[in-house]
Amino acid sequence: MLTMALMCLGAVVGRFVLPHWWARANSRVQLVLTVLLIFTMGVSIGRNEDLLHNLGTIGLDSALFCLIPMAVSIALAHLLAKRVFGAGEGAGEGEGE
Amino acid sequence: MVFLAFGALALGVLCGRLGSGLAAVDVLLSSSDLILNLLMVSVGVGIGMQRGIVRKICQYHLKALVIPLGVTVGSILGGAACSLVTGYPLAEGVSIAGCMGWYSLGGVTIGALSGGVYGGVAFLSNLMREMLSFFCIPLLARYLGPAACIAAAGATSEDTTLPMMMKYTNEESVVLSVLNGATCSALVPVLISLSYQLLG
Repeated sequence: MLTMALMCLGAVVGRFVLPHWWARANSRVQLVLTVLLIFTMGVSIGRNEDLLHNLGTIGLDSALFCLIPMAVSIALAHLLAKRVFGAGEGAGEGEGE
Repeated sequence: MVFLAFGALALGVLCGRLGSGLAAVDVLLSSSDLILNLLMVSVGVGIGMQRGIVRKICQYHLKALVIPLGVTVGSILGGAACSLVTGYPLAEGVSIAGCMGWYSLGGVTIGALSGGVYGGVAFLSNLMREMLSFFCIPLLARYLGPAACIAAAGATSEDTTLPMMMKYTNEESVVLSVLNGATCSALVPVLISLSYQLLG
C-alpha cells in the first residue's frame, strides 16, 4: 500500500507541480535509483550461500517464468487486438519492416 | 540499460562475496527500502508527466486498453501455470509473472516479501523477458503484428524496448506501446500487492 501511495503522490507532483523539462532529469534519477537497487540486490545474492548453491534451479525456473507468461501474453493480446482493431487497423496488423 | 543492469548485479554479487567489511555497501544495503520508495515516487512523477495519456486513451475509446488487458491477464495466467509446474506458491508465481518485465522493482519487492530466492527468480525472469522481447520484436512484427511486439515487451514497452517498436512498427503502434507500458507499469505494484493479499 505504501508503494501505491508513493506512486500516486509522485503522479500528482509530476502532473501539477514539476515543470515539463523535469522529465529528462526524472528519467536519470530513475536510472540511478534502479542501478543502486540492482546493486543492493546483487549484494544480497552474493551474501546468500543457499541462493548461490541453487543458481542452476533458479535459472531454469526463471526461464520458465519468462517464457510462459510472455507467450500467453502475446497470444491473448494478439487475438484481442485482431478482434477489436480488426485486420489492417490500429495495432492489429502493422507496417513492420 | 540491460548491460548496466548486468554490470550492477555482477558488481553487487562480487561485493557480497567479499563479506560485510565494506561500510558503504552496508549503508546502501540497509537503505534499499528508502531507495525503492524514492523510485516509486519517481515512477509516479514519470506517469504524471505524460499529459497526453488520458486524451489519447479517450481518442481510442478505451480500445487502447485491450493490449494491456491481454498482457496483464496473460501474465497472470502464465504465472499461475508456472506455479503449477515449479511448485511455487500461487501468490509468488503470479507476482513474479505480474512484474511483466519490470525486473528491478519486481526483484526487490518480491525479494523483500518472500526472500532472496523468489526475488532472484523475479529479477532474472523479468530481465530475460526484457532481453528476449528486445530481440524478438523484429520477428513478432513481421509474423504476428505490433500487438504481439507490445505484449512481449510488457511494462518495458514505454522505455527500453520503445526504440525497437519505433523501428519495426508504425507510429500508431508506438503510441499504443507507450500507453501499454504506462498502464502495465502502474499495474505492477497493484498486482504484486493484490496477489499477496488475495492468494497469499
